[in-house]
Amino acid sequence: MNPAVGLFAFLAVSIATAAIGFYGLRISRTTGDFYVASRTVPPWWNASAIGGEYLSAASFLGVAGLILLSGTDALWFPVGYTAGYLMLLLFVAAPLRRSGAYTIPDFTEARLDSQLVRRVTSLMVVAVGWLYIVPQLHGAALAIRITTGLPSWVGSTAVVVVVCLTVAAGGMRSITFVQAFQYWLKLTALAVPVMFVLLVLAGNGTQPQAPLPVNPTGQGAAGAYQHISLLVALLFGTLGLPHVLVRFYTNPDGQSARRTTLIVLGLLSVFYLFPTLSGALGRMFAPELAQSGQADALVLLLPGKLVGGMAGDLLSALVVAGAFAAFLSTTCGLVVSLSGVISQDLFGGSVRGFRLAAVLAAVVPLGFALMTDTLALAGSVGLVFAFTASTICPLLLLGIWWRGLTDAGAIAGMLTGALLCGGAMVVGTLMGPGNAPAWLAQPAAWSVPAAFAVTVTVSIITKNRVPASVNRVMSRLHVPERPVATER
Amino acid sequence: MTRVRVTAPRQSATAAPGRSPYPREDSEDSDAGRLFIRSLIRSQLRLALVVACGFLIILAVLALFLVYGPGVAETRIAGIPLDWLVLGAGIYPVIGLSAWLYNRAAARNEARYRDLVEDK
Repeated sequence: MNPAVGLFAFLAVSIATAAIGFYGLRISRTTGDFYVASRTVPPWWNASAIGGEYLSAASFLGVAGLILLSGTDALWFPVGYTAGYLMLLLFVAAPLRRSGAYTIPDFTEARLDSQLVRRVTSLMVVAVGWLYIVPQLHGAALAIRITTGLPSWVGSTAVVVVVCLTVAAGGMRSITFVQAFQYWLKLTALAVPVMFVLLVLAGNGTQPQAPLPVNPTGQGAAGAYQHISLLVALLFGTLGLPHVLVRFYTNPDGQSARRTTLIVLGLLSVFYLFPTLSGALGRMFAPELAQSGQADALVLLLPGKLVGGMAGDLLSALVVAGAFAAFLSTTCGLVVSLSGVISQDLFGGSVRGFRLAAVLAAVVPLGFALMTDTLALAGSVGLVFAFTASTICPLLLLGIWWRGLTDAGAIAGMLTGALLCGGAMVVGTLMGPGNAPAWLAQPAAWSVPAAFAVTVTVSIITKNRVPASVNRVMSRLHVPERPVATER
Repeated sequence: MTRVRVTAPRQSATAAPGRSPYPREDSEDSDAGRLFIRSLIRSQLRLALVVACGFLIILAVLALFLVYGPGVAETRIAGIPLDWLVLGAGIYPVIGLSAWLYNRAAARNEARYRDLVEDK
């Protein structure tokens, strides 16, 4: 690929992101603007923004790469990513919006009336956020290396710099604009090249090099345990992701939070058709990418390989732009929600503290990303979902639906989940990919039930610690807002 | 333009202007009010569980069908293998439909609660 193409696309997206960020600065006036865009973002904007933020490197590059490698087994990833939103809608969306809290730690403190549980939750949120930023930066490193030939660190560092500038400058309101813009950019950047490739292939009657159902690396099918564990992680991990939750606070009320989620489901369903198509095309027309260990770059390389020439370069530029939109938007979203948490707990919640926290939230995972190597993107993001499902998900689900939850139970459950899932991740990584047994490589199927069990058991033992405010808080979470029309 | 120094409200985050952030106080302070709220929460939880279980059962049946269904491996529609078609595209409308049905039913539960409280 022509290196200038990749570089140009990357610069264009970075400048657009920063420009919208700075434009947003002019309308951000109060701390409320900074944190939650004053909760007046209309559902369509908000849904596009949620979609833009959620579709990360794993979705944009990883899903197609994994489909190239393992076919129908990998089709469960986008299904899980989307169905996770269904779970979020069913159990979390409206009550969380009605809680009126800014961040997950705010919610926990209000619900359980304890400073300690707030601090433990903050730790978990920061851990999840950092874990999730690392694969984004790996994706950026890969994209820069493949498309421009520059060293890997340039990609991750550039993403962190643009994100810090954008977040520190505009806060949440401009982030909402940035994210919404980036959803549509990502969709276009995947859909147009794939359609074009399909047209070209149909036009010149190219015959597939390999049949669709056969894995190009000869890799065997995954077992039932892997599928179930993956689905548990994706279904229950989504509702605990900090950057997803913070978006719901920008809805005006619980009903519109539900409406927004429904639109998001539609947007995600449309989006995931295209990585699936790319993966299928890759299996049939470019199976050699799987052997060379460049599966994650499939989406980036496909137009240049199958179309070629000037048109191929233009399409490649579009895909590279979309890929950087994916890294930037997810990292922006994570950094915003992390800096919300860090600044409130560390810097007293001022705007200056928010900016400092934004830098802190982005630089730490950068260090980690530079020290570690690129794993399969979809796989490493799957592990982050498993961690979230084992720590934050039990706390949220039980906090919203069960009066009996206590601070002791919540802390014990979070620590159990973090130890079990984190331990499995560390041991699995040390053993090396391919060597770890399935139950270590995919811990969610046992670590999530264990975290729930410990949370419930400890809460029942410490029944006397159920906060006195539980009835008030529960009714606040579930009672519908008074509709404007019937205001008396 | 004047510069205003702003700091973050912590717990005091409020809902959008023009709406009461708290539900009616009277409904949560009386016995009947508490009962209504409990039954609202219970019906919303039941609804969410029913939709979630229904969706998961459909998913499980589909997965089993794709693995063990007779002749599935050979079936192709317009040249695309059936399992690719179902997992790659066919499942998404099911997710959307579940979500839409849930939204309607949840709004109905809330409307029923509102009627109860207002009639009191």
